[in-house]
Amino acid sequence: MRLLIVEDEAKTGEYLRKGLEESGFTVDIANNGVDGLHLALEENYDLVVLDVMLPALDGWGVLERIREKKNIPVLFLTARDHVEDRVRGLELGGDDYLIKPFAFVELLARIRTLLRRGPAREVEQINIGDLEIDVIRRRVKRAGQRVDLTPREFSLLQLLSNRKGEVLSRTQIASYVWDMNFDSDTNVVEVAIRRLRAKIDDGHTVKLIHTIRGMGYVLEVGEPG
Amino acid sequence: MSRLSLNARLALLFTFIVTVCLAVVGTILFDALSRQIYAQDDLGIVLSARHLRRLAVEMDDFAAVREHQARLVSLVLGDSALALKVESSEGNSLIDYNPPHLPIISLTATPQNERIVTEHLQRWNSLGDVPMRGIATFAMLRDGSAIKISVARSMSDRAQMLEVYRSLIWKTAGAAVIIAIVLSLFLIRQALRPLRNIADDARGITPERLAARIDIRRAPAELHELASALNAMLLRLQQGFDRLWQFTTDLAHDLRTPIANMRGASEVALSRPRSASEYQGLLASNVEECDRVTRMIESVLFLARAESPHFALRRITFDASGELKLIGEYFEGLAAEGGVDISIRGEARVFADRELFRRAISNLLANALRYTPAGNSILLTATASSQGASIGVQNAGIGIAPADVDKIFERFYRTDASRTDSGSSSGLGLAIVKTIMELHGGRASVRSEVGGLTTFELYFPSGSEGSTSMKL
Repeated sequence: MRLLIVEDEAKTGEYLRKGLEESGFTVDIANNGVDGLHLALEENYDLVVLDVMLPALDGWGVLERIREKKNIPVLFLTARDHVEDRVRGLELGGDDYLIKPFAFVELLARIRTLLRRGPAREVEQINIGDLEIDVIRRRVKRAGQRVDLTPREFSLLQLLSNRKGEVLSRTQIASYVWDMNFDSDTNVVEVAIRRLRAKIDDGHTVKLIHTIRGMGYVLEVGEPG
Repeated sequence: MSRLSLNARLALLFTFIVTVCLAVVGTILFDALSRQIYAQDDLGIVLSARHLRRLAVEMDDFAAVREHQARLVSLVLGDSALALKVESSEGNSLIDYNPPHLPIISLTATPQNERIVTEHLQRWNSLGDVPMRGIATFAMLRDGSAIKISVARSMSDRAQMLEVYRSLIWKTAGAAVIIAIVLSLFLIRQALRPLRNIADDARGITPERLAARIDIRRAPAELHELASALNAMLLRLQQGFDRLWQFTTDLAHDLRTPIANMRGASEVALSRPRSASEYQGLLASNVEECDRVTRMIESVLFLARAESPHFALRRITFDASGELKLIGEYFEGLAAEGGVDISIRGEARVFADRELFRRAISNLLANALRYTPAGNSILLTATASSQGASIGVQNAGIGIAPADVDKIFERFYRTDASRTDSGSSSGLGLAIVKTIMELHGGRASVRSEVGGLTTFELYFPSGSEGSTSMKL
């Protein structure tokens, strides 16, 4: 998957490139709007990450001109989270946006969502290692043993296993599991993960739920790498 | 007109009034004077004509008329503007006394036995456009022959006199108008001085000198209201400025802690080689500090945006207890770890922005969890009333000191300034709750007993279903 990052701030561009390359993407960087537009139109990218505040030709201008010719997904980044800005970006044909500062895992998740073609398949059965999840009947077994989960714990486990190997931020988890779309000062998610982990991982040598400090949580077999 | 100064406007108006008054008075006086003068002259002419006719009637014939010329003329001698002409019925001139040398036209004569009155006077313009007035009458001499007596007066002297008067009136009135303009400009300027004083006072008020006020004592009664209103406005602005200043200071202060942590920890880590896990720990800790800063910025921006009149509320009517259950579930794990139980009671329908409702209750619940000792419970209640719904969040704990109750909703207010876990809360949670309630036209209040129960109550007024509504 080839991504284009249009970002004038060198540090931001560099860490985005590094992070995205390490997540398996091929990344090109343009540090101004004119170059960005040129690359976006000449080369074949799967997605464009576009900063709105750019010198010379700003992000809106780039987005508008890309849309005149191409229909590739565009995710825009903005530091001004005015409703009008977001609405404008989406009206001009942006597919999604993130407000700076954002969690890198959040960006990764948005990019993956945009690149996934069509709606996500609803799986009926998830098997990860010796963990079995019956999505229809909402039943969970670990090493053949039934594990009793509350409905919220089940949603949390389902989210983590659907995104196996993907780090999920606290905000993403709170939003998906409890529909809480604001950052709270509390460690609710941390506690919920701890309780889920006690039910899923306690007593098993192979741990499934891992904490990536400072970033979030991931479900995978063995140590995250 | 609207761009003219108040001073000029008042002066113009005043001048206009003075001009109109003077014009009316001048016209009336001039008119009265000229009427008076003409009436007197007319009467003189009429009286002369009457005398002449009476004298003529006693004369025998034309010869006698000529003979008594001096006597007849003596009747008009007193006024050099008067002329007298006596003719026979055939038109032969018997007497022609004419000091003004202005010919008398042939006038319609009053019959000899009819009383001569002013209505019979005739007016004409003689040589050189001199205005004339005159009267004529027939008289029968003793021998039966008829004569025509004409008396006329040149009015040029009167016209001249009136002309002098007219110009005098014009000049006097003109001078009066000029004096009125000058005086009114001066007086209005004087009268408006209090306005300039207010302006001077206002000019002296700057962001640095917001405590200055407009001196009400210098203002006349009419301007007291204006000056007090301005002072009240200044007070509000000053309070707003003070709050903003305090807020900025607090914010900068609160931002220092996470930045100091990041910087300090990073510097220590860089001072000598470390193991990979130490670096990882540092980076993770830095990310946590960044999250803290981000949350703080997000909260501050939320509060700032809530004050904008364009803040859009998406209010709907929903079941409050269902939402409370959801929020309760969210905090369930956290509460269980702290040995606290969350219970929900009551039913109510709430008209609110669901997202903001959740945020407000979550902030209160997070706050309650922070202060509830293990083994106690937090009670969430929903109560419907005729005007709206109230949501209560009640917990047992240390309580809030009476001195803090009023201030607890203020931004960055912390009951304990030295609290060690200030990192876990931004000090903005309750300020956000208050702002959310203000956006809904509702109220946030708190009752607390020290060492007893603390109850936060949010009152949401009911309203009609509308997809979006603007603040105020």
